[in-house]
Amino acid sequence: MEVTWTKKDLLSLYDLEREEIELILDTAEEFKKVSQRNVKKVPALRGKTVVNFFVEPSTRTRISFELAEQRLSADIINISANASSLQKGETLLDTVKNIEALQADLIVMRHSAPGAQNFIAQNVECGVLNAGDGAHSHPTQALLDLFTIREKKGRIKGLKTVIVGDILHSRVARSDIWGLLKLGAEVTVAGPATLVPKDFEKIGVRVCHNLKEALEGADVVNLLRIQHERQRSGFFPSTNEYARFFGLNRETVKYLKPDALVMHPGPINRDVELDSSIADGPQSVILEQVTNGLAVRMAVLFLVAGCLQK
Amino acid sequence: MNKKKSYILTGGRVVDPFRGIDAVMDIGVMDGVIVEPESVVNPETIDVSGLIVAPGFIDMHVHLRQPGNHAAETIATGTMAAAAGGFSGIVPMPNTSPAADTPGAIEYIKRHTEREGKVKVYPCGCMTKNLEGKEMAGIGSLKAAGVVAVSDDGKCIQNHELMRHVAEYTASFGLPILDHCEDDCLKGEGVMHEGVWSVLLGMQGISSASEELMIARDIIMSRMSGCRIHIQHLSCQEGVSMIRHAREKGILISAEVTPHHISLTDECIKKFDTNYKMNPPLRSEYDRQALIQGLADGTITVIATDHAPHTATAKLVEFDYAPFGIVGLETAIPVCLSELYHTGVLSISSFVSKFTVGPAEILGFKNKSLAAGNPADITIIDLNREFTVDASKFYSKSRNTPYNGMTFKGKAVATVVDGKFVFSEL
Amino acid sequence: MPAKTQICDSGKVKNAISRIADAIISEFNSSKSKKFAFIGLHKQGVPLARRLIAEIEQKTGFCPELALLDISMYRDDVGIRSALPIIRETEIPFDISGQAVILVDDVLSTGRTIRAALDAITDYGRPPLIRLAVMVDRGNREFPILADYAGMKIIPGEGRKIVVEFEESDGHDGIFEVDWETSTKGD
Repeated sequence: MEVTWTKKDLLSLYDLEREEIELILDTAEEFKKVSQRNVKKVPALRGKTVVNFFVEPSTRTRISFELAEQRLSADIINISANASSLQKGETLLDTVKNIEALQADLIVMRHSAPGAQNFIAQNVECGVLNAGDGAHSHPTQALLDLFTIREKKGRIKGLKTVIVGDILHSRVARSDIWGLLKLGAEVTVAGPATLVPKDFEKIGVRVCHNLKEALEGADVVNLLRIQHERQRSGFFPSTNEYARFFGLNRETVKYLKPDALVMHPGPINRDVELDSSIADGPQSVILEQVTNGLAVRMAVLFLVAGCLQK
Repeated sequence: MNKKKSYILTGGRVVDPFRGIDAVMDIGVMDGVIVEPESVVNPETIDVSGLIVAPGFIDMHVHLRQPGNHAAETIATGTMAAAAGGFSGIVPMPNTSPAADTPGAIEYIKRHTEREGKVKVYPCGCMTKNLEGKEMAGIGSLKAAGVVAVSDDGKCIQNHELMRHVAEYTASFGLPILDHCEDDCLKGEGVMHEGVWSVLLGMQGISSASEELMIARDIIMSRMSGCRIHIQHLSCQEGVSMIRHAREKGILISAEVTPHHISLTDECIKKFDTNYKMNPPLRSEYDRQALIQGLADGTITVIATDHAPHTATAKLVEFDYAPFGIVGLETAIPVCLSELYHTGVLSISSFVSKFTVGPAEILGFKNKSLAAGNPADITIIDLNREFTVDASKFYSKSRNTPYNGMTFKGKAVATVVDGKFVFSEL
Repeated sequence: MPAKTQICDSGKVKNAISRIADAIISEFNSSKSKKFAFIGLHKQGVPLARRLIAEIEQKTGFCPELALLDISMYRDDVGIRSALPIIRETEIPFDISGQAVILVDDVLSTGRTIRAALDAITDYGRPPLIRLAVMVDRGNREFPILADYAGMKIIPGEGRKIVVEFEESDGHDGIFEVDWETSTKGD
């Protein structure tokens, strides 16, 4: 029996079965081809209204979603927090219910509070796609990471994967971890002890505070952006110290397998978490991640839109 | 409600831990006072066979919200919720708006209780002015106005020197301190327990260390000042250990636990339902088991609800922004009976004492047993009645409960205050 | 009435394929450009297209190219169907704009699938000529779309549909009539 998509929302990879994740990746493969031909559009979401509601601002993810929606021929509205009624004190739920009352079919939402999209999805009929909620989840980023790895390596199962950086505050890390574990990869998280909690061991992830140990024999390394606010809050002493002990540079890149993939969700702090030469080098798939992001988002929009009129 | 002046409760199983009684016997009530059944004049008989007849339950941790947040609850609706939950007396916390830090505020509470209160309300005053943790409130005057305890609940005095002064001064007036233990720095912006689940969900955590540090502080202050300090809503394993150890040494420290902390854990937060958000937060299964053990071995002598009403509007927001707190008066007995009595953890006598002897001892209440001559405050419980929680039928104005739709075994079926039935499903 | 009844056996299927191939050969032999390519529609149009190619190659020596097309992204019923269609591989190894193409599907019913296929094809290029070949025309047309080459015409009973099976994909050749409920989804 073939697996099919039955959910009106995409909130977190934690909620998905392995087969559902694979369905998204398989669907994305076909949508990638659409973007490579002359007419980059299909009418799949024609007549559907998609609202991009970015309470937490974003440029890259929002553009990626917008483009995906356009290529599916959807009608698009963009709402950002400062231009919305949230400024006037309207509650999030009221704002979204108003959007729903305008017959929106899908809401693509980003918010700084974890669980905000879960809360909204339970209270509205339209579909909710999570474009990032605080440090909790960023499912489409993880899906495009999985797609990229699968495309390059032919599989995910059994691969040694490493995520390096501020895991504690990262929604990308959490979503990657769920996706990689469900598809059978081995996962290691690495970084300063203050930013990489031991609790991840309880779900089968290896926790490491030494970069060499973490990277030895790895097939994939995903570098997270280190944020300066964490330095100011006392989580680590300086970006210099971070780069020295946890940055991927010409020295530390040697620990990886020669055909390993170097990934980064962007934007890169060049020469902090990642040396410029490696970011632009042959192992880097960073730009491909962006291209794949478009295909993955088209796939997710297509699948979720198919569940709306039950 | 029945306006019976004289009646005899017949055939009930009287469980009175004040006097070590657990037997089937009749209880007579005349003119609001308990009397020997033989001495009741023209009695009506009320058959309570098969039911538990206990001294009136006291909830020593309730938020009535009046004055200041009438949308969430009032003295009238809160006391009605208490009556429906089986409580004949409650201690409201002083973090109202304005705070109950002056005799005038206490007068206000007494006046409204007189007019609209369904159960007995024993006022509690603030430790510091406006709960700011900077200057001591007029504790002596508050005592004179009728408070039974002082508390800064909702906040915790961070300055240990001030806490020392408050403890010494409060002790001299013979009042207990009810303390909400929390170190502000370690609490930070936390919204749930700091543990595996806060890590997996990417939420800010409130470490147990925040509570443990202040429990340790309070144990030291109690030891130094001789002041009775009661730790409110105990939630963590280490806290139970510290209190057990301090009590063994004879320090005047005590603790209460809420029904939700002994029945729910932090894993519930994965639903992102704000009805699981309170402070202190739901902690891990290890903590929950430690709290239950603490009740079983007598380290924790009180169960109190921390009934914290919030309007639906306030709670229907993103988890991070929702206020802390859930209601508890109308679910306390069903949840606790299911979790503690029907599982065999506590005997019925031990169970009843957590709501009667425990609070009375800390608050210095006398004459709370079912002995003749005492005020007729009685709680009648059906241990086996199935109860499915329907928040829409709560007497409380607020609906913020995590138990909606869940079924429990056992509930209070009648509450008597000064001889009057303020709630009855008999 | 049993759920699945056989209408045509493998012999009749093979004959039908031969007839379609002959009709195609005959039309293109008399046209200016004798060359054409096939576009098989997932899922049963693909094995049928392969069979036609084999038949034509055997009869004429010319082996037409084969493209595979999935039209899930072009359907007009996204959200209405009970199950989401699985998107299968679209692979077009030649330039559509320079080639006459023959669309191949197993059953022509409402015509909506073919309409979606026409939209998809024109997004890939501008073919000079499009023809439609089907194994069975079952005649409940909702759109003005006709098959240029049809193996046979069968009108099924009320509440019944036509299913075509091929040896390569289903283990045997045959045409069947089934109840709507027991048929596989995704026609």
